[in-house]
Amino acid sequence: MDHLLQTISNLASFWLILAAFAGVLWGILGGALPGISPSIAMALLLPFTVGMDPTSAIVLLASVYVGAEYGGSIPAILIRTPGTNSAAATVVDGYAMAQQGRAGEALGISLMSGLWGGLAGLLVLILATESLAKVALAFTPAAYFSLGILGLSVIAGLSGGSLLKGLMAALLGLMIACVGTDPMSGVPRFTFGSADLLGGVKPILIMVGLFAVTEMLVQIGEPAWVKVVKSEARLKLPNWAMSKRLFKPQAIGAVIGTIEGVTPGAGGTIAAFMAYSEAKRWSKHPEEFGKGSPEGIAAPESANNVVTATALVPLLSLGIPGSNSAAILLGGFLIHGLQPGPMLFVKAPEVIYGLYGGLFIANIAMLLIGMVILSPCIWLVNRPKPYLIAVILALVMSGVYAIHESLFELFLVIGVGVLGYFMRLLSVPVLPMVLGVVLGYMVESNYRRSLLISDGDPMIFLTDKVSLTLLILALALTAYSLWKEIRAAREKQLG
Amino acid sequence: MKTKPVIAAGLLGLTLLGLLAPPLMAQTPYPQTRVTLVTHSSPGGGTDVFLRDLTKHLGPLMKTGFSIENIRGGSGASAIAHVAAAPPNGSMLYGTTPTYIQTTLLSKPQVGYEGLDPIVIVFIDPEVLYTRTESPFKSLADVITHAKANPGKSRWGASNPASLERLAMERLARATGVRAAIVSHEGGADQMIGVLNGTYDIGIGEVQELRAQLDAGKIRLLATLSDTRLAGLPTLATAKEQGFNVVVKKFRGLAGPKGMPDEIAKAWEDAIRKALALPEYKAQYTKESLIPMPMGRAEARRFTTEFAKEVTVSLKEMGVIK
Repeated sequence: MDHLLQTISNLASFWLILAAFAGVLWGILGGALPGISPSIAMALLLPFTVGMDPTSAIVLLASVYVGAEYGGSIPAILIRTPGTNSAAATVVDGYAMAQQGRAGEALGISLMSGLWGGLAGLLVLILATESLAKVALAFTPAAYFSLGILGLSVIAGLSGGSLLKGLMAALLGLMIACVGTDPMSGVPRFTFGSADLLGGVKPILIMVGLFAVTEMLVQIGEPAWVKVVKSEARLKLPNWAMSKRLFKPQAIGAVIGTIEGVTPGAGGTIAAFMAYSEAKRWSKHPEEFGKGSPEGIAAPESANNVVTATALVPLLSLGIPGSNSAAILLGGFLIHGLQPGPMLFVKAPEVIYGLYGGLFIANIAMLLIGMVILSPCIWLVNRPKPYLIAVILALVMSGVYAIHESLFELFLVIGVGVLGYFMRLLSVPVLPMVLGVVLGYMVESNYRRSLLISDGDPMIFLTDKVSLTLLILALALTAYSLWKEIRAAREKQLG
Repeated sequence: MKTKPVIAAGLLGLTLLGLLAPPLMAQTPYPQTRVTLVTHSSPGGGTDVFLRDLTKHLGPLMKTGFSIENIRGGSGASAIAHVAAAPPNGSMLYGTTPTYIQTTLLSKPQVGYEGLDPIVIVFIDPEVLYTRTESPFKSLADVITHAKANPGKSRWGASNPASLERLAMERLARATGVRAAIVSHEGGADQMIGVLNGTYDIGIGEVQELRAQLDAGKIRLLATLSDTRLAGLPTLATAKEQGFNVVVKKFRGLAGPKGMPDEIAKAWEDAIRKALALPEYKAQYTKESLIPMPMGRAEARRFTTEFAKEVTVSLKEMGVIK
């Protein structure tokens, strides 16, 4: 409780508030631009923090993270392009709602879910950092493998109808994840002698290709959009009835985001996918998912914003950065002569409590800034289609080029976009493929690490307690899905 | 405002140098007013930070402006190709680390490390072996004895696959003839968790990345894999002292396009030597446990060739390359 009081007293500082607002604004812009990931947006600001006082500097960087994780959902909803990896799960229902002329409502839901997620994560961070640090430490390679399997077990929920097609897509994703440097020996594999493929295929490239480029190709072949009614072109925050309905998916998002956030290496993308799938599983209206369900936005968007706070747990308590963004934040600490880790709470508590306060302000800033900029954003995407498609393609391409200044990646994205177009024609779902790309490396490298450790004995996955728990969970969720499917099929037969 | 004292100290150091330097040493100004240093590391990454710190001190010494350009992609291959194509007039250099040699050997890009000419070596970033505080191992000998007594039961962490850290662990296993599972990770953070929760007997890393756990007393250092003991950690014995002849030299330096005139290479060597003597810089790099190892072009070329040869042998032994 002392922590909390101290946090509140920190809220008053003017510079802190300025840093939080500036960081969130920059983060939203960066997150909304495909190609600028949260970590890049943070890295771009890093040199400017040198002259600032440590607390403001850290708050600025952490606020960029908060803003970027939210900002990614804006293009996901409006133009079917996830601005960040973790907004990929938001695309499905967000864009479906936008196409029904409910873009303002969808953006309002993602904004409020992001806000609740961010605040829930902050609460967890303040109250439970020490105990959660133990969770992070309990993860062995075997546990990471099982975490990946648990992630893959949601494929069924993401397949939208045909499980077989979903599995095919996931397999394709897993195959793409094999390209690059072998995670154990370092031998290049499936790179065909190209240095561009040495680092593997980045998930963001696959997502931008499969979502944005594919969508543009589809749109070109379709008639002009229906004119959006003026009243619907405004941001619409959820009303009381809607808020009540969104509570469950948001809570699911918060729980999953907490767990994934504190385990280094898991992160917001997997959290968002799992939250989406679980929200669908426990929803009263699972049939709406994929066709514009508000819950399908609320769950992933609250999950990835929870992660903005809980990802700081391993960094602050252990000094171990769990993600690229956390690594940049670590850089921010080091520039100011601060070493995150067990001693930080003793040596520089004012920075930590300042950070807590700053994160709170950042979430409020996100709400205020979102309310101001979202209506113009909706206006922007309601321009005549030919202009819009040209501008979006140019934006997406320059975003992709900005990541590594690589022409190769540009062509890769276009190629993936064409692949996505044919997948759409054959109604093969793309989400399982994205999931495969995201999880493939984690599953494979930790499987091999575990077997190296156990000297080839696969029992290690069952003797490791965390691993066993996760595997049982994966099995239970799969069995539940199966049972539900069989029951639905039987009811259909009877009825 | 941390920059002010840095600049002030830099200026002070400069004035002192000016007073001490004999008039004969009055050197010709560096021919370029703007120098671009290219790195494959992202902003905030290891080489990026090294270059930014270095240029802070080099700027006043060489009376020229510096900018850092991050050219990512192709695990460094793009950056190397970019610099190799630049005019050899000292306006563009590449920040070297062992990665640029390893990328060349592993992926054989069109322009490899041989496409650049090493100009200077500045530091050696020493690698240290560590274990968790609760572990029964008090010295490197304990670890090796345990490994010999329990063949196939030893697990050693390493950071990235085919990295210098991984090669160091392989060399240690080979030198002692033990069979240990050497497990690669994505960077040092994953490995650290594995050591802390007891999955691995030992891990390997640079002092800077271990600092948090070290200060908190969660890990114990067992050996440094450098030639000599570290100034910042005088009680830590080298592996060599403990009877295990494993030394790795993770160097940091600069390389340029081929055909650079001798006076430019000399200007760099002089400036690096002066920068390393600046008290402000010295305090900083000693704290980070970097070992100053200034080498001019001739020496840097020899060192790089020798280094590449050693890495080639190790990678062949591991079966990574043919």
